[in-house]
Amino acid sequence: MSDRPLPTETPPEPAAEQGDRFAALYPSEEGIRAQVARRQRVATGWRVAFLAATSLAVVILSTLLLSIINQSFGLVAEQTDIPEAQLVADHYKSQVLGATNVLLATEDDADIAAGIAADANGIGLLGYAVYADNGAALQALSVDGVAPTAETVATGTYPLTRPLLLYSSAAILSDKPQVAAFLLYTLQHAEEVMSELGAFPADATALAEQAAALATTLGLDPAAPIDPAAYEGDIVISGSSTLNPVTREIARRFRGEGFQGAIKISSVGTVAGFEAFCAESADLVDASRPITTVETAACAANNLTPLSVQVGLDPVVVAVNSANTFAADVNGEQLAALFTTATNWSEVVAGWPADAIHRFLPTTDSGTMDVFVNTVFGGRTLADLPYDALVQIFKANVTAGRCRAIEAEQRFYADSFVCDTEEAFTARCQSDAAPTGCVLEPRDKGSLVALIQADVVNPVVQQAWFLAESLFRREEIMAEARQAYPTADVHFRRWLTLDFLTRPQSSQPELAGVRTAILGSLWVVAIGILVGFPVGVGAAIYLEEYADKRRRFNRFIQTNINNLAGVPSIIYGLLGLTVFVRVLEPITSGAVFGVGDATTANGRTILSAGLTLALLILPVIIISAQEAIKAVPSSLREASLGLGATKWQTIWNHVVPNAIGGIMTGVILAMSRIIGETAPLVVVGASTFITTDPTGPFSKFTTLPTQIFQWTSRPQQTFLLIAGAAIIVLLVLLFILNAFAIYLRNRYARRIG
Amino acid sequence: MENLTVLPPRGEAGSSRAGTVNAPDVPDLSRRHRIGERTIESGLFIAAAVSILTTIGIVAILLEEALRFFADERVTVVNFLTDTTWQPQANHFGILPLLNATLMITAIALLVAIPLGLASAVFLSEYASPRVRGLLKPALEMLAGVPTVVYGYFALTFVTAILRAVLGKDIVQIYNVASAGLVVGVLITPLIASLSEDALHAVPNSLREAAYGVGATRFETAVKVVLPAALSGVAAALVVAISRAFGETMVVAIAAGAGPKLTWNPFESAETMTGYMVRISGGDLSYESLDYKSIYAIGLVVFAVTLLLNIISQRIVARFREVYE
Amino acid sequence: MTTLAHDPSGGPFAIEAQALNIYYGSFRAVKDINLRFSTHKITALIGPSGCGKSTVLRAFNRMNDLIPISRTEGTVLFHGKNIYDADVDPVQVRRRVGMVFQKPNPFPKTIYENVAWGARINGFKGNKADMDALVEESLRDAAVWDDVKDKLFQSGLSLSGGQQQRLCIARAIATRPELILMDEPASALDPISTLRIEELIQDLKKNYTILIVTHNMQQAARASDYTAFFNMDTDRAGYLVEYGQTDQVFTSPKSEMTEQYITGRFG
Repeated sequence: MSDRPLPTETPPEPAAEQGDRFAALYPSEEGIRAQVARRQRVATGWRVAFLAATSLAVVILSTLLLSIINQSFGLVAEQTDIPEAQLVADHYKSQVLGATNVLLATEDDADIAAGIAADANGIGLLGYAVYADNGAALQALSVDGVAPTAETVATGTYPLTRPLLLYSSAAILSDKPQVAAFLLYTLQHAEEVMSELGAFPADATALAEQAAALATTLGLDPAAPIDPAAYEGDIVISGSSTLNPVTREIARRFRGEGFQGAIKISSVGTVAGFEAFCAESADLVDASRPITTVETAACAANNLTPLSVQVGLDPVVVAVNSANTFAADVNGEQLAALFTTATNWSEVVAGWPADAIHRFLPTTDSGTMDVFVNTVFGGRTLADLPYDALVQIFKANVTAGRCRAIEAEQRFYADSFVCDTEEAFTARCQSDAAPTGCVLEPRDKGSLVALIQADVVNPVVQQAWFLAESLFRREEIMAEARQAYPTADVHFRRWLTLDFLTRPQSSQPELAGVRTAILGSLWVVAIGILVGFPVGVGAAIYLEEYADKRRRFNRFIQTNINNLAGVPSIIYGLLGLTVFVRVLEPITSGAVFGVGDATTANGRTILSAGLTLALLILPVIIISAQEAIKAVPSSLREASLGLGATKWQTIWNHVVPNAIGGIMTGVILAMSRIIGETAPLVVVGASTFITTDPTGPFSKFTTLPTQIFQWTSRPQQTFLLIAGAAIIVLLVLLFILNAFAIYLRNRYARRIG
Repeated sequence: MENLTVLPPRGEAGSSRAGTVNAPDVPDLSRRHRIGERTIESGLFIAAAVSILTTIGIVAILLEEALRFFADERVTVVNFLTDTTWQPQANHFGILPLLNATLMITAIALLVAIPLGLASAVFLSEYASPRVRGLLKPALEMLAGVPTVVYGYFALTFVTAILRAVLGKDIVQIYNVASAGLVVGVLITPLIASLSEDALHAVPNSLREAAYGVGATRFETAVKVVLPAALSGVAAALVVAISRAFGETMVVAIAAGAGPKLTWNPFESAETMTGYMVRISGGDLSYESLDYKSIYAIGLVVFAVTLLLNIISQRIVARFREVYE
Repeated sequence: MTTLAHDPSGGPFAIEAQALNIYYGSFRAVKDINLRFSTHKITALIGPSGCGKSTVLRAFNRMNDLIPISRTEGTVLFHGKNIYDADVDPVQVRRRVGMVFQKPNPFPKTIYENVAWGARINGFKGNKADMDALVEESLRDAAVWDDVKDKLFQSGLSLSGGQQQRLCIARAIATRPELILMDEPASALDPISTLRIEELIQDLKKNYTILIVTHNMQQAARASDYTAFFNMDTDRAGYLVEYGQTDQVFTSPKSEMTEQYITGRFG
């Protein structure tokens, strides 16, 4: 806004006749200019201040939301005793190796090839190199229509492909230049050598990039070829049989170009290779899979930080005898059947012969088996395993005492025992006050999975980073975490997951969920609304339509309702605690109905909580319903009464239907108020820890906000993180309710308009 | 709609005549006993009376248990009001430390919320374009509906962290009054803004025009004409906000710390009255223990203060209405 | 320079509209208004409801600025300066062009303060006694002094409607404007109050140029020197039909439409 004054061509002339002494007391023209300019400056200053304050308020409140999101996602260093994926993979490996007619299980691909070649019903898994050597006697099945060829492997369309890697460590490479030189030489010659051998080199560009990066790290000229003659000393290489021929050929050339030292190469399998490496008895590892966290941990014990380069790819071939005329292409499901459940070929595909399948397999430790299991059974979790297998996994991985204790709590099977004994069970359960666990109803699968996750997998988040730092300092954090928690798996974690919504409460924050709390909230809110709605709307109708406002008592009711609306919610908690929990305990515990659990029954139930909240929202519902009823034009009532309708007919058929939008809006707002209520429920006695779903109004309960409060009160950081995730759930729930209320309000407003 | 059955036949002329027992040409206008209507009215009255029962219940329970508390030989009213420590184990039952923490948090909250809330209200009502107002007002109202446990989490994980980072971990304790107070302030800011904006917005436009008409600037109009005209509404909003801050529970229970302590240092932990009530009732207490009874005595104080504030607020609003009717 | 089609009077002129067009959003409320008003005269703006006469009136002290969707095109010359130029401060305009509104709108302050406030914010430099005198004189000029002299420190809202409106006039003249715009100042009042306001307007003519919007034809005929008749065109935009000395407009209107309107055949 400009503060330039109006130019005046003629002096102002009013009030001339008055000879006006007052006009003289107003500022002169100059003075006015200055005065208005000053006032406008003040006004502009305040305008900025108001805008700034409003923006600050908005910023603070947005910060609130952002900080919660910031806490609920981010990198974590998670330590497990045994990774869940490994338990699952081990199960499927044992399925494969335990299938019928496993005629051979060996480390040596050549033996597998020979076995299949000699058996018309033979089928097996082997590396591509050996398969290629026995081309005439074997044929490879295509998987999902893709046969293993150079092209399908390179493009990654053939599913059963694994990387071929060379592992070493920075320390070894700097201590032993000859090892570094050999590694670089390998990268420079891998494509040529592997192609010659009929193996599958990694993409040429990828190889070149890795070589350049490695050379730079080592302080060598990336463009210059390695001169083996310039190096001396020993090189010890150990590991996978698949990569072995390639390494041998490269070593032959390396020596051929003048290398003076000794190169010792042993083909012992990837597992043994890493063992040797981490025990500092090998410089390089031929690996047909990435190193595991357990192996990394073993290396870390010797201060070795593994680093890897990828030299090639290796397809695992599903080979059958060349005389096999029926099998040519299989899908994932058929592969699973071929190697696990099926006994005869005809069980895999109808129309195949009813002859027995003869299996020739690699051993558990082989990379081939890993690739096969990870591809065919990848993505499965503990929940996908059969119940019996889960019981076995549990038994195998916990102490006998723990297993007995768990089984005493609740049995695995109705008719037999896994760790407990019949005698112990009988003895325990024949006493009068039979403890829990004497029920014959077995544990369900979900609870067994939860047990395994808690007792066997036992994930522990060692440290968590907030979203912002996880995004901006990702590399640094990864490095820090590897240093501080070498054995932990560092990954990005969303604390708010589907699992989080569906799992019950747990003492381990990593495994805790909000299912119990959400169900508790729903129950409590439902009871609160079911009771509060009719009473509140009834009261509003009475006050607006019946009550004579001149009567003192009715005015008192109105004042009283307004006052109740301002009473802090914790006071309602005290009311609920005294009236519903203590005085009405026989009713609220369900004892008079004979439904309460005799041993644990007290008044701290969903019913008590719901009734307390009903009282709490009563003023909110009454006041908003009154507003809605007031908004109904009185002409409508007059029209109805004029037709001879009774008062209640008028209310029921005209007033309530016209006010229903406003009433419903009020009810939803009341709902969103009590869904976030915490203090009164803590007072009334929300349980601090329950893992069982509420089953009815007489159950113990916890709700989403009380759960958040309890988690927030714990000292461990991880509980704060899941509290953040639970808050997001709560806010989303509230947001939906509010959006619905706004929708109703708009629809309602349109109708009246 | 069973009450319909007790209605006399009516509607068409023929049937109404047929339904009467009196002289055929005089219509029956005598009063009917509509039992259904009476029943419904009684039912509705009972619904309205539930709120009275609630109030009576609250007052009776607080008084009764508080009396049981004071009836204990270890407690005296004088001790309750004047003792400067609250240590039930050592027979000290002075409410002052709890009250002091509550008042400090209320004061800090108001220091934050009044400038922010009022400025936002003036901006929204007098400066913002209808579009901005239409956007920010519901957003504010939605934020006023965010559960307090969320604000408590925010205080503990964010505000406390910032205070400790800025002022030093030696000065600022993990649980402290300042953080809780600031966040209670943030919590009541939307309340003040929204209610005050309602009051400002209710001031008729003719007043603004009058001010502009004598040459007032927008600021002069807003602050010297509109704000005074809405003063009672704004004052009522402030009183409601004070009451809300005084009775606020979850933020202080989470962020202000446990353990009553009489301190003036806002960076130390100090338990408020409501925080104490949550902590004690959250544990498993015998209904006969003194701790249990004490929360009612404290609840009585909280209830009395907030009730007083609410009544004051309503009085102010009632006066406000008179002005514009 | 647009020629002034309607120029019934001689100068000097207090304020002048040239090619004035006012829009609400995309709707043109008034179109192509060319008008100028003689100093120390009363000019009545008449016309049927919705013809934009109030909108035109409010254009003379930029009151339309307060309606966010409104837009003004054209020129309003005041002392030779277009008040819609970018460098003009509306606050400056309004302190020289006072306004009285349709419904009495005293501030919810005391009667005294209602009059004194405008003076104070506009830099009135007098002491307490000067201010008392200014308040008294303004209230006397507005012919309300006798009604309020015993309750100067009661709320302005405690007065009757007619008294409130005269209080608003006192408030307007206390700041010594050159022009007073009156937007149907008597429409919300009873006949006796209306009469008193009309007399007051006549008195004020001595010192002020007055523009008055009215719905009441008798009022226009009785109280004004000049009359401008507006009507609504087929596109619902208001336009100026006829402007002349009041006697002439009411006795021998040049336009058929004016005649129909003043004889009550439409509107």
